Amino acid sequence: MKRRDFIKYGVSGLATLVVGSKMPWLMANPAYAAVQTQTLNFTITDAVKEMVTHEPGNNLATCYFWIYKSNAPNFPADCPGPQIYTTVGDTINISITNDLDEDHAFFIPGMYNSGPIAPGATVTGTFRVTRAGSYLYYDNLNAPVNRVMGLHGAFIVMPANLRGTRARGGNRLTPYSLPTPNVQQLFNDFGRAAWWPGLAWEQGDAAATPPTLPFRQYVWLLHQASPVLFEEVGNFTPGADYPAAAFMDAFIGETDRPGLPPLIATNTDPRMAFPLPFGPGIAINNAFNKKPHFFTICGQSGHFSHNHPAITPMLRVGEPCLARVMNAGLWTHSMHLHGNHFFIACVNGRVQSNLLWVDTFTSKSMDIYDMVIPFMRPPDVPNTRGIGRADPGLPAGLGATWPPQQEFAMYQPATGTFKQSFLNPLVNVDIHQRQSPLVYAMHDHTEPSQTAQGGNYNCGSISGITIIGDRNTPGWKDFPRDEDFDMMLTFGNGAPVTKPGGGNDPPLV
Amino acid sequence: MALPNSGIIIPRRSIAGMEGMWAKMWDPPKESPGTPELLTPTNPVPAFMESLGLGDVKVPNTVQLALTEGITITGWNGAPLVIMAVGDQDMDASKGGTYPGTILRVPRGVIFHAETQGKTSPPHTIHWHGIEPTPMNDGVGHTSMEIGKYTYQLQPNFIGSYFYHCHRNTVQHFEMGLFGFLIIEPPDAYANPLTAGGYPRRTAASLAAFPQFPGFVAGDLASGDPHAYTVPYDYEALWVCDDMDSYWHNQIGLEARAWYPAILNRPGVDDQFWHGHFHDFNPDNWFITGVVVPNAPGVLGTIPPNVVVPPGLNGGVTGMQVSVNAQRGKTILVRALCASYNSMRVTFPVDVVIIAWDGRALGVPPLARYSHAYRVPAGTPIRYSVARRIDALIRTDTAVNAFATVEFFDTRGENVPGRERIVKTARIPFVIN
Repeated sequence: MKRRDFIKYGVSGLATLVVGSKMPWLMANPAYAAVQTQTLNFTITDAVKEMVTHEPGNNLATCYFWIYKSNAPNFPADCPGPQIYTTVGDTINISITNDLDEDHAFFIPGMYNSGPIAPGATVTGTFRVTRAGSYLYYDNLNAPVNRVMGLHGAFIVMPANLRGTRARGGNRLTPYSLPTPNVQQLFNDFGRAAWWPGLAWEQGDAAATPPTLPFRQYVWLLHQASPVLFEEVGNFTPGADYPAAAFMDAFIGETDRPGLPPLIATNTDPRMAFPLPFGPGIAINNAFNKKPHFFTICGQSGHFSHNHPAITPMLRVGEPCLARVMNAGLWTHSMHLHGNHFFIACVNGRVQSNLLWVDTFTSKSMDIYDMVIPFMRPPDVPNTRGIGRADPGLPAGLGATWPPQQEFAMYQPATGTFKQSFLNPLVNVDIHQRQSPLVYAMHDHTEPSQTAQGGNYNCGSISGITIIGDRNTPGWKDFPRDEDFDMMLTFGNGAPVTKPGGGNDPPLV
Repeated sequence: MALPNSGIIIPRRSIAGMEGMWAKMWDPPKESPGTPELLTPTNPVPAFMESLGLGDVKVPNTVQLALTEGITITGWNGAPLVIMAVGDQDMDASKGGTYPGTILRVPRGVIFHAETQGKTSPPHTIHWHGIEPTPMNDGVGHTSMEIGKYTYQLQPNFIGSYFYHCHRNTVQHFEMGLFGFLIIEPPDAYANPLTAGGYPRRTAASLAAFPQFPGFVAGDLASGDPHAYTVPYDYEALWVCDDMDSYWHNQIGLEARAWYPAILNRPGVDDQFWHGHFHDFNPDNWFITGVVVPNAPGVLGTIPPNVVVPPGLNGGVTGMQVSVNAQRGKTILVRALCASYNSMRVTFPVDVVIIAWDGRALGVPPLARYSHAYRVPAGTPIRYSVARRIDALIRTDTAVNAFATVEFFDTRGENVPGRERIVKTARIPFVIN
């Protein structure tokens, strides 16, 4: 793999818009490949998206969506719509054109409501951003059909006092205009208190490779997609709304129990066809029901969200970050982080007084919560320190268990596991994977969402955290990185956004 | 697939240069490596259980976990449900696998080893949910490997409620029953063999604001005091709230690799992906800590009184309850795990104080100083979703002869107006004399 090929075809940042000019910290963050604008100029249109898996015959699986597409030059189309970052006090101009066949809208609860936009019409308006926090923008017409069809995105409002390096009174900056005492204390303690050594949230490190940005934050926008139902909506009578009740009956899938529509066994696995002791075996059937069978975070699933530095925080011990979790769909997700417990800082607009420190939290339909990941050393790696104590290392003779240098030297799969390269079958690549840096999962524990097309485990709603070093252990600011991970981390942050994939692959050989 | 009117095709992100990461994500290697940074285990619980005549320990201070399948339990209607099960091979009560798996009790700070293997149809893994070790010991295939055989190594650092489960094809293996509860206890919980096998015991809490619970010790964790920020409890109850879809269990119960994709020759190009129905979960059986909830789906069911967990499945500790039967003026600790792909809502018939979520005691300084224990009045539901745990502390001078209620919500449609649906209500006898 040549590095220039990776830059050209490999991962890239997320499609992000920055409104106004008060966020140099974000503009400087190549992870977001941010486009700065004063006007949100969107078209409501449709698209077909290539999903995570392959269909039989190895064509990519696809799904039809309705999308908000930014009209900024060279801005990629995607579902969900662009991540929008704004600052309290910004005035935002908006211009939305509806290219679909029925009325649509652009809506941010408590901030802006376009009202119905007729097919072919353009609506313009202005609104002022007043309160810091995490929001969804979406189409609130024919609820929930238009939103679930893909017309949604993340709208992030940062507090206004970001230009200074310190807020007043010795308090550090938080994501909120009016933090509760415990939220303020947590953000004050990062980088200051003995138990949170490292950086404050507002602090970056330009000397790190890649640079550690201040105000580290990530959006985990959750969604579920049903290709069968979405296609049916797309093909519905032009100008007529698909009935919302029928949409929910299919999508939420009441039950397959007596008196209600039967479960369709969707199954192409020949191992399933033989009789079993407790049943007849499952008939092979290629048809899907209308329930969702793709589950996404920021529009990506499985590998594409997990190994993605703009979705998965890849940071060091001592580099705390914020993740904003929002659910645009109709299913509940129960999001579990490995490696670190996290603090729940804000739930549905309420900055929390009692900061639960948990490993799993509930995301129901339309829920929005903010979690703070301390990026502490995983506490159950063997140690002698105990809770809240300095770590003197292990007793003499036992060696050090942190950083786990023996683990860093392991490869799974083992070195010498060759497969054909993606771009050219005549070239072999070693698909070995080093146990460094330290990769942890973040996934929905409502496990049906961990699949794609009803099986194919680990191609669903999953992201993670990756600990790429330890700011607090001398000599280990960076854990070893092999070339593929290093390129993903470096160029995944930096490639200019032209398409979600950073550009189409050339025709495969 | 209909073409969009717009003509816009959103391409999949490229796999070029990332073939290894792409492939490992969904077809992780099956290996049996040695444990890196291997230490000498110090977990005293296996030897204590052996001293009670509950089993024979093969490797000192080490738990022997085996994952197996093809076991049958009975649903509410008497029909068989095929499950997979995990058990400690050294202990008579759990050797063949149980549903749920044996409770593991571990003192905080010991070096914990679990030699783990699949007895049938490997590979498997064990993930120690809420425990945070290195990726090799985290039991997730795509961040390490599937096994094979492996000795997981942890040193649990926070007292509280956890669970362990197989993380291979988790959608299936967790649902099929490959999980058990994990309790981290104070460092000295097994120090005295005369008291280690019973109650009272202690757990982590910060309860200065709740003087109704006697024996709470604040102090300083850094001092090494094993009781710093703990409170004693006289009774302990465990509610593992689970559901099962009989169609999943009986149609695919024996195919541990159901719809598991495979790398062929050229990652990203010729991968073997299937169509399946793991996106479609429709439970028709419910369980509280392995006890089936009677009656048909949708119909209220009450589990029997006086259900207890035997010491052979509870780290040698006698008296762990499921249905609560306690005395007035004593402290009761209820640990409640949602192991169900449905969400749930627990309602107690008495006031409770929530002292911990997810193995983190509220308000314990320094790291949990941003939170505090809180009272939930009798009759007030506590709603949460799969894999979350609460630790609830109860003490009353009033007799109670009532039920705790666990209502299971279909996760499809929660918070959607007009679409929330309770699919089952279970009652747990709750008696305080």
